[in-house]
Amino acid sequence: MKTLSTKITAILRLFVALCTLLCGAGVAELYAADAATTAEVSLADGSRAYAEKDYATAVESFERVAALGYADADLYYNLANAYFKLGQNRLSPSGRTFSSGELGRAVLNYRRALRLDPSMEDARYNLDIAVDHTNDTEAIPDSFIVGLWHAIGDRATTNSWAILSVIDFVVLLISLLFYLLSQSIVLRKLTFAVSIVALVLFIFSTAFALSQRAKLQKQDTAVVVCNDTTPVHASPDSASKVIRQPSQGVTIELLRAHGEWSEILFSDGEKGWIRSNVIERV
Amino acid sequence: MLRLIRRIVFTIALLLVSIQSWAQVLFTADAPALTAMGSPFRVEFTVDAEPDSRSIAAPSFEGFELLAGPSVSTGHSVQFINGKQSSSYSCTFSYVLLPEREGTFTIGAATIRVDGKEYSTKPFPVEVVAEKGNAKSSGKGASTRNPENQISKDDIIIRLKLSDTDVYKGEAIRASLVLYTRVGIDHIESLEMPPFDDFWSQELTFDNDPSREEYNGKVYETYKIRELLLSPQRSGEIVIPATEMTVVAQIVQNNGRGFDPIFGGRQIYHVTRKLKSDEQKISVKEFPKGAPASFAGAVGRFSLNAKMPEAQIKANSADQISVTISGEGNLKFITAPKFRLPESFELYDTKSVDNIKVTASGTSGSITYTYPFVARSAGRFTIEPVEFTFFNPSTGEYTTLATERFTMEVLDDGKSSGEVVHAGVFTDYGGSMRQLDRDIRFIHNVAVPQRAASVFIFSPLYWLVIVASLAAFVVVYVLMRRRIRLNHNVVARRMRRADKVAVQRLRLAEKYMKEQNRHPFYEEMLRAMWGYIGDKFNIPVSALTKETIREELYRRGVSSADAEQFCQIISRLDEAQYAPVSEDDMSSVYGDAVEVISKIESIIKH
Repeated sequence: MKTLSTKITAILRLFVALCTLLCGAGVAELYAADAATTAEVSLADGSRAYAEKDYATAVESFERVAALGYADADLYYNLANAYFKLGQNRLSPSGRTFSSGELGRAVLNYRRALRLDPSMEDARYNLDIAVDHTNDTEAIPDSFIVGLWHAIGDRATTNSWAILSVIDFVVLLISLLFYLLSQSIVLRKLTFAVSIVALVLFIFSTAFALSQRAKLQKQDTAVVVCNDTTPVHASPDSASKVIRQPSQGVTIELLRAHGEWSEILFSDGEKGWIRSNVIERV
Repeated sequence: MLRLIRRIVFTIALLLVSIQSWAQVLFTADAPALTAMGSPFRVEFTVDAEPDSRSIAAPSFEGFELLAGPSVSTGHSVQFINGKQSSSYSCTFSYVLLPEREGTFTIGAATIRVDGKEYSTKPFPVEVVAEKGNAKSSGKGASTRNPENQISKDDIIIRLKLSDTDVYKGEAIRASLVLYTRVGIDHIESLEMPPFDDFWSQELTFDNDPSREEYNGKVYETYKIRELLLSPQRSGEIVIPATEMTVVAQIVQNNGRGFDPIFGGRQIYHVTRKLKSDEQKISVKEFPKGAPASFAGAVGRFSLNAKMPEAQIKANSADQISVTISGEGNLKFITAPKFRLPESFELYDTKSVDNIKVTASGTSGSITYTYPFVARSAGRFTIEPVEFTFFNPSTGEYTTLATERFTMEVLDDGKSSGEVVHAGVFTDYGGSMRQLDRDIRFIHNVAVPQRAASVFIFSPLYWLVIVASLAAFVVVYVLMRRRIRLNHNVVARRMRRADKVAVQRLRLAEKYMKEQNRHPFYEEMLRAMWGYIGDKFNIPVSALTKETIREELYRRGVSSADAEQFCQIISRLDEAQYAPVSEDDMSSVYGDAVEVISKIESIIKH
């Protein structure tokens, strides 16, 4: 008798636990759905405002979506566009464009979009235009091989390369099967060639996937975000010599932090110290 | 000979006369422009040549009491520089005067004679002021023994003097940091200028000659410490914080042992003083409303000058327009005026060359902007005037300058749109030719934003897919291998059994032959022949033709004669099967067939 009651209570407990779990999942799903709809509404608002040339509203809407934790290359691209247009069209009283740091924000968000999707050609084009407005120096050009490697690697995201690598692997195995089992000499020759090609493609796509993953997970790229230009000092001390005055939108590499200062590396190889609050990680 | 000597003498004489005429006599007067009541001062007349004795005639020092003078001091110095000898001579007559009344008095011209020639100084004014609260504690009481007390609080002052405190944004202000002192200054120990955060600032060079100035009713020696040109970058009230400075003053004091033969009687003390200037407020006015569209923050007075390209150029050739803005104002902040060129003109990066001087009255000079372009297609084009607007703070109005409208003709270059003809203009642009005024591309449509995707490469899922496909590969391979092996076994068995089956069929045929049962005999014979080849060479029945039989036999080393015989027997059997009367004897066909099969069998076995 006792065993039966304990069994029943155990079953009941299990049932209750299951119910709460399901309910919890449901509520979580509801929240997620809620966030998703907010994001969709904000996105639609932003796109509409952008089309109506109300760039301030567009920036606000896109920023709201980004703040919800979405990491969408197209979203960052749109946000960057909105910042760029906002800065370009809102002249300061002295007639200066990008007077509130919009250019820096635009470059930052183009870089974020390209980090998520290096193959986004529009973002590359627009970034090029935005960088033309900064005083960023020309980077030391890569060697031909390295340049080619990056150019090919940037045609797709790490996950696309990874999927391609899996497909190549499967093709390799299938053609290997045919090669090993087929009786026909022609078929064997053909599948041998296919296997070699698939093997090479597999190795390269895996390497590209890894290289793109490294780029995606790189933490030390940052963009100068200030109203106009900001001094870069020789040492972490505002009294030290100013070695350069990068404008907003200059892309740099973070080396280390020291108090409220960060050591940075310019694309042309020069090092310096900058206040950490005027740079933002990509 | 005589003529030669005469000529030399004449030349020397001429040389001497010319040297004499070069030696100009300088006679100058020197005295402070400002002095206080009750403080004696010194007036000096200096001549740089030896005067005739007692020839100085001092002016009447009206308004002053002559305390002493003239005292004469002469100096003579000889210098050798790079082997060249130069000598200078000076003779100074000094007078010590005491002001009698307040006001501005003119010290008249002093005259002197040098070599019989008379020279005079220019008259100059001296202002005499009464100092307020001039309790110059010149009492030699005991308290003055302490040198600290000898310097009162307002004996050393530091002031930041601004040329204007009510300006427009971008208008230049001259700020001078001036040290006012009534005592001797040994040196400046430290100087901390405030940060001019809301200004664009530029250091000026200045002559640091001391001068005298009256301030708060006292006369001070003034020294300029720093001079800056400030131009405010925002409107509203800007407060410039105090400047802090530490100076060391030098006090010379009688130590009361005036007749001490060893220590002279004077002692020098150094007194350190911390000084702080007052805060300064500058009210910066925003530009008035209604700025023309071409206004981009230029403040000052400017003029505009444009140099237009050739009136006729060839298509696809390069030329340039240059615009020079010159004048006084915030030249460094001027942006290049925008040119609207016809569509078919390709405009390249604007180059600017500036020639800017920073002076006490502001920055002045000129900036030249060069707009290089390439005209792509032929035709007559009008270059619209370029506008430049500046704000004139002295009138408080905007002024818009414009270049003239210019018409130019682009001639056909005889080629269709081909390569750019590089003219000299582009040599220093190198590879940096970029099209300006590109616009960004439009936004993308995103209906549903994505979260950050997890990285797939080398993730557990990736390895799972790889391992699963490897496993599938192994399984398929093993299964297929086994099936192939099995298949091989079947074939081998069939091949081994081929002659047995043929023998059985032949026996059956023999039985029919004995019964003279024609039809089943031929049928069985054909089956035996076809079946033998099919089983032996593993050929499906559907693929069996005489051709394939010949090929297979040939491939296995059977002579073509035997193969031909084999085929002939099949033909004979075929014919005999449907012939109404047999011309062929069943037994002879049977015998041939048995013979050929056994022959083939023996060849293949080997």
